[in-house]
Amino acid sequence: MFSKRARLWLGLIATLSLLSLASSCGGPKTEDNTNTGDKSGKAYTPKGDEGTVTGKVSYTGAAPEAKKIDTSADAACTSKSPNLTTEDWVVKDGKLANTYVYIKDGTLADGSKIGDWTFETPSTPATLDQNGCHYKPHVLGVMVNQPITITNSDPTTHNIHFTPKSNPDWNQSQPNGAAPLTHKLARAEVLVPVKCNQHPWMKSYVGVTKHPFFAVSAEDGSFTLKGVPPGKYTVVAWHEGGANGTEKTMEVTVPAKGAATADFSFGATAQGQPSSLQMLPAIEFPMLGKH
Amino acid sequence: MAETPEPIESLVKKEAEPQRDPIVSRSTSAILLICTLLLMFSAGWALYDEGFGQRPWRGMQQQFTKRYVAYLKSIRKDAGKSEAEVKETPEYQQLDEEAKTALDMVKTDLAEKDRRVRQIQAKLDAVTEPFQNQRGKIVVITYKLETSHGGFWQRRFQSQLDAKKKEQVAVDLPAEGDGKPARQKMDFAQLEQTFNELRDQKAKVLGEKAELLKEPTELAKKRDEYLKNHVSLLPQKSIDDLIRKNEDSFDYTILGHQINVNQFGIVDRCEICHLGTRESLTIKASDMAPGGPGKKPDDLANAFVSHPRKELLQIHNPEKFGCSACHGGNGRATTSVVKAHGQNPFWLHPLFHKENAEAGCQMCHANDRVTQGADTLNLGKDLFYQRGCVGCHRMEAFDREGDALTNARQMISQLQEQIGANERQAKQDTDASANAGDDTEVQRLLAHADSLRVTNSQLAARIDELNLQTRYLQQDQKKVGPNLKDVRLKLRKEWIPAWLKDPQAFRPGTKMPTFWRFTEDGEEGAEDLKAVAAYLWQQSFDGKVPAQQQGDKNHGKELFESRGCLACHSIGEDDNKMGGTFAANLTKVGEKDNYDYIVRWIYNPRERWAPYCPKEHRDLTPEDYSKHGLPFLFDTELHSKCPNDGAELQVQNMTVMPNLRLSEQDARDIATYLFSLSSPTPGADLSFMDDPKLVEDGKAEIKQYGCAGCHEIKGFEEEQRIGKELTTEGATPLERLDFALITQDAEYGRDPLKLHPKDKEQEWYNHRGFFEHKLAEPKIYDTGKSRYLEPKDRLRMPKPFLTEEWRTSLTTLLLGSLGAEGANVPAALFYSPPDQRRQDIQNGWWVIKKYNCMGCHVLQPGQRVSVYNNSAEPTMISGAGLYSLPFYSGLKEFLPPQLTSEGARVDPDWLMKFLKDPSLMQAGEKPAQPSSSSAAPAASPSSSPASVGARPAASANDQSGGRLISQPGANRNGVRPYLQVHMPTFNFSPNELRVLVRFFMAVSSQNDPYIKDPMDPMTESEKSIARNIFVSGTPCLKCHITGEPAHDAKAIAPNFLLASQRLKPEWTFRWLLDPAQIAPGTAMPTGLFKKDQDRWVVNLPNPPSDVSSYHGDHARLLVRYMFLMTPDEQRRLLSASPAAPPAAATQPQTSPKTGRNYGTPTSRGSDRVDLAKRARRKAGLRTLAQLRHAHRIARKQLIDSSKQY
Repeated sequence: MFSKRARLWLGLIATLSLLSLASSCGGPKTEDNTNTGDKSGKAYTPKGDEGTVTGKVSYTGAAPEAKKIDTSADAACTSKSPNLTTEDWVVKDGKLANTYVYIKDGTLADGSKIGDWTFETPSTPATLDQNGCHYKPHVLGVMVNQPITITNSDPTTHNIHFTPKSNPDWNQSQPNGAAPLTHKLARAEVLVPVKCNQHPWMKSYVGVTKHPFFAVSAEDGSFTLKGVPPGKYTVVAWHEGGANGTEKTMEVTVPAKGAATADFSFGATAQGQPSSLQMLPAIEFPMLGKH
Repeated sequence: MAETPEPIESLVKKEAEPQRDPIVSRSTSAILLICTLLLMFSAGWALYDEGFGQRPWRGMQQQFTKRYVAYLKSIRKDAGKSEAEVKETPEYQQLDEEAKTALDMVKTDLAEKDRRVRQIQAKLDAVTEPFQNQRGKIVVITYKLETSHGGFWQRRFQSQLDAKKKEQVAVDLPAEGDGKPARQKMDFAQLEQTFNELRDQKAKVLGEKAELLKEPTELAKKRDEYLKNHVSLLPQKSIDDLIRKNEDSFDYTILGHQINVNQFGIVDRCEICHLGTRESLTIKASDMAPGGPGKKPDDLANAFVSHPRKELLQIHNPEKFGCSACHGGNGRATTSVVKAHGQNPFWLHPLFHKENAEAGCQMCHANDRVTQGADTLNLGKDLFYQRGCVGCHRMEAFDREGDALTNARQMISQLQEQIGANERQAKQDTDASANAGDDTEVQRLLAHADSLRVTNSQLAARIDELNLQTRYLQQDQKKVGPNLKDVRLKLRKEWIPAWLKDPQAFRPGTKMPTFWRFTEDGEEGAEDLKAVAAYLWQQSFDGKVPAQQQGDKNHGKELFESRGCLACHSIGEDDNKMGGTFAANLTKVGEKDNYDYIVRWIYNPRERWAPYCPKEHRDLTPEDYSKHGLPFLFDTELHSKCPNDGAELQVQNMTVMPNLRLSEQDARDIATYLFSLSSPTPGADLSFMDDPKLVEDGKAEIKQYGCAGCHEIKGFEEEQRIGKELTTEGATPLERLDFALITQDAEYGRDPLKLHPKDKEQEWYNHRGFFEHKLAEPKIYDTGKSRYLEPKDRLRMPKPFLTEEWRTSLTTLLLGSLGAEGANVPAALFYSPPDQRRQDIQNGWWVIKKYNCMGCHVLQPGQRVSVYNNSAEPTMISGAGLYSLPFYSGLKEFLPPQLTSEGARVDPDWLMKFLKDPSLMQAGEKPAQPSSSSAAPAASPSSSPASVGARPAASANDQSGGRLISQPGANRNGVRPYLQVHMPTFNFSPNELRVLVRFFMAVSSQNDPYIKDPMDPMTESEKSIARNIFVSGTPCLKCHITGEPAHDAKAIAPNFLLASQRLKPEWTFRWLLDPAQIAPGTAMPTGLFKKDQDRWVVNLPNPPSDVSSYHGDHARLLVRYMFLMTPDEQRRLLSASPAAPPAAATQPQTSPKTGRNYGTPTSRGSDRVDLAKRARRKAGLRTLAQLRHAHRIARKQLIDSSKQY
């Protein structure tokens, strides 16, 4: 009845329409997942084949010296920590501390994107302590909506000022001896600068991610991302400096129940030219370049 | 047999058979059938056409109800669930629980109260009737008594009254409990007393009941509120109602969906198809897709959506305005989409294209500079002014100063004539009176003469006022482009012809348009260009500006990026442009300008080379002044009159660029930086520039092209605009828009420019097409025309630089500029502010936009501005222009203050003072010139200070050895000295100052005039409590300026001494409680106070005992304390404060000053102290203001430090 070609076309059309039907029926579900971010999405349950990413962050070249901070503006600070120094480059034996390492993106072994999964937010709060007029820890990682408990262990008043880009600004006064404050960040953001307007040298950075695969390098430069589902990932190491910090990127493959290694290196070159300014030869802000 | 038939046949009389009558015999059935069929067909067609053909909307309505019901059903499920879900959340449950427990707790009490009420009510019921009966009778008798005459009647009524009052009435008072009613006998007084008592009792018990219910009611309210806030969709019941309405009782008539505004003759039937427009649900196109919700929408689905900006319908009620008033189209047409949208030929108001929809706003809001919510239109208005359209084309609302100035000048000359005439008449009358015959005539004449003289004195007063206005208006009148009288002082000779030829090549995106005739007209064009260049060069001031040393490039760069230059200007090339779009890109300044001139310009751009006298039509020279024994001195304050004839002079450059109050050294540094970015290229043969023969030609060309619309040019000061007035351009009949030789292309939809590459090519023979093409490429309408036309007949509009978005915005503006005649809206509906407040806002925006206040400040929530954000093309960002700079990415608190609540924050008188002089110089304060850098003072010519204002010019033209006039308030901010960015001095005229202050007050809904409430004086104990709050725990003194130099160097907030002058107490109170609500991102923390019942107390874990025992509101106390702050009190506070130690006194003097020292942090600390000490010695700690600028240098390092650590 139909010519061969017509049959071919008909078949094609039928298949296509079936396909489109299937996709349109399945469509809304997947869309929802991406749109509403943290709320929906498939919850990830550990399968027991998770691996780890470990590595060391090192610093090449002469380490920048920690500078002494003039705390004379607040006598309470001077007496509690008379030898406060800058913490932007804490280097010991060529190893760099306070580097925030996290999985930025990646694909699991089954081909799904890591961003499509949701992970349980721990209910145990992370702690940010104001102690001796500096923040402990200097760099902190949390998951979205994970409570951060902010304590003031100093005999003076602080104000804790989160200055995020995509979360609401938050600036609370915390007098000496006051009860801890709690703050949550609802959106992933790497990283949110935290400061105290009364003690301008006080700086801290809080990384907020939708998954638990982040770490801050220890004094020996080491870090471990635990419980990582097998897959291929982009791991990013971030260190402060410049307007937006400096980022180093690496691709790693995590085998089932295995360990992957990602070693990062920051150096003198990275320090002088923060990434954002490289794009802007005409506009350099000299105040930003100095550390 | 064979014969027989014959005779029979012959017997029969043969009658000639009559011819068949064609009329009667031919069957007409076929015709009839055809006719019947035709008739039936036409009847059927007529019926069909009546029912459907002429009513295409019927089908649409059916589609609508079908699709809408499908959509409603699809969301019905969710709606129900979401309400139930909310009710299951723990939060709701808890609230519900609380409300119920509270109710339970009072339940027994409530029942008791109810019982009491019932009892009292029963008694009351028993008493009421007899009481009212008796009262009525008594009233009647009393009335009779009062109206009766004669002792007898009075006595009689009196006795009746007494008897009535004593009469005992039986009342059955119900007993407490279930007992039998007790019968009591009462006289009237007892009755009255019982009645009143019972009533009071009832009220009391009801009051107690309400008190009991208070808590449960509030909790229940809270719970219901929670439910309301958390149920996102309509409740299920409403959806059911909607489904029923659409399924069963949908109104399929025109009248059911027609808007009829009798008053203005508006009849709009748009909603017979656009049925979703005003639905309470927000309907999206995908909801109404033919295949069901969520599928791919078709055209019909797009027509059924809700109005995309429902908030606009709130303020423009369709029942009052209709639809076509804003959107265009033919509201009455119902027979086809084309007709209804007015897209048929000759309909005067076709529907505005979607991207030009805001043209509808312009019809009524032509006088608004900013129309809230109409971003495209607002951008169009920005561009119309900023890109210089206004230089050639008049548009009524844009001509505020120009129109007013012309009016004032005309009025002055009229009044002067009137005065002359009156004087003559008075003289005549006086003369005539001497010769008059009788005394009455003499008196009449003399009285007339007197009245004329008095009238003249009144007229003189009006002239005075008008003169003042001219002066102010002259001060406010600006030009879009630079002053070309300064060409020789400012520019490199070889650059001028290159620039004229192709400005976009030198500075892409510049507002200077390309005069394409210079290149298109070949040889002739090139000659014209030379003539223009020669005229400008030769008709310019010739002289030498004060010679300047080179400055420090790095410091200049820092200043350029931090002082606020980038709020208006941009820098960088191609994809790296940063900064505002309001003013020029400065990357290539070094290639075109004279360094000395630019230093002078940066130092004070308003400083004019020579004043211009509008009466004499010429620039004045020093000789004009010396003739009258005056110094060659002119400014807006005291020296603005012409020495020859007293006319108001133009004493400033007509630029909006303000004075940034930089020191001379800083101006030099910035100029040095700018000049380091590019260097001049040597030019070709320039001998023609000095050829006097070209001047005549040049003058003609400048006149032809209307250069004087944007620039000041010698000989063209009074030149009128050359372009067509555009106030009602959108209403120009289509046939009068000159499509010239490409009319046919336009009609057939051939587009030589391919302006809309994504759309299907379509006819552009309409207003939109004309404007877009004219703006994109003015010369296309010159296609095919003879080059030998008379100059006046030739197209001369230059090609402006416009992005696609900009072109759309300008087209929108033009399309909507229809005037009262052309608009689709009755003029009675045009927006004219109904009250003073709105007028103030309308007026204010013209000034705000004129000076680009939004480059630095956020003036309204959700503000968006156009900037170069590391890009070649401008983009829109939220916030103010400066927000885009990476410099401020982590330093929001160092941005200029947000002004969203400025009117509520500051005292209007103070604001006026501040806007006039943002450095807040105090009376008698000497203008100082500290540089923000301390580089090599010896190298600076500023070491020999000249007397203020005197121009030490050996000769007027050669000032190369002279120096710049020192200026007041140099190098400091009055309120926020810690900010790097300077609030510049704009030199506003009193007119503009008034408009601005009123604007800020009106935007914040402040009453006018503002009368300060006196503050309650503080008792000593209150003072000491407030002091205690200040120093223990609340960290105020850590950040706020205190007058203690060492501390102020690190301070990041204003001085409390300013508060009483500057702030309003109510705002200050709200600010203390939650500053982030008022200014998001501020350094001032939230949580300084906590709520304790209905008062705010300081949020300290262990407040000092006197503070905790103070029972008033702590925040209010602190406001009072701040407002009553005195320098003495502040010092006292400081000595008690651990937060701000007077470190300066103890530190040894170290670190000799050698140039600019960014040093190490350790040395910087003592540096600052050192500076502070020196400064304090110098200033002698006398005035706050002096201290402020003395610590300018140290303060600069503050931002460094917060960036560094």
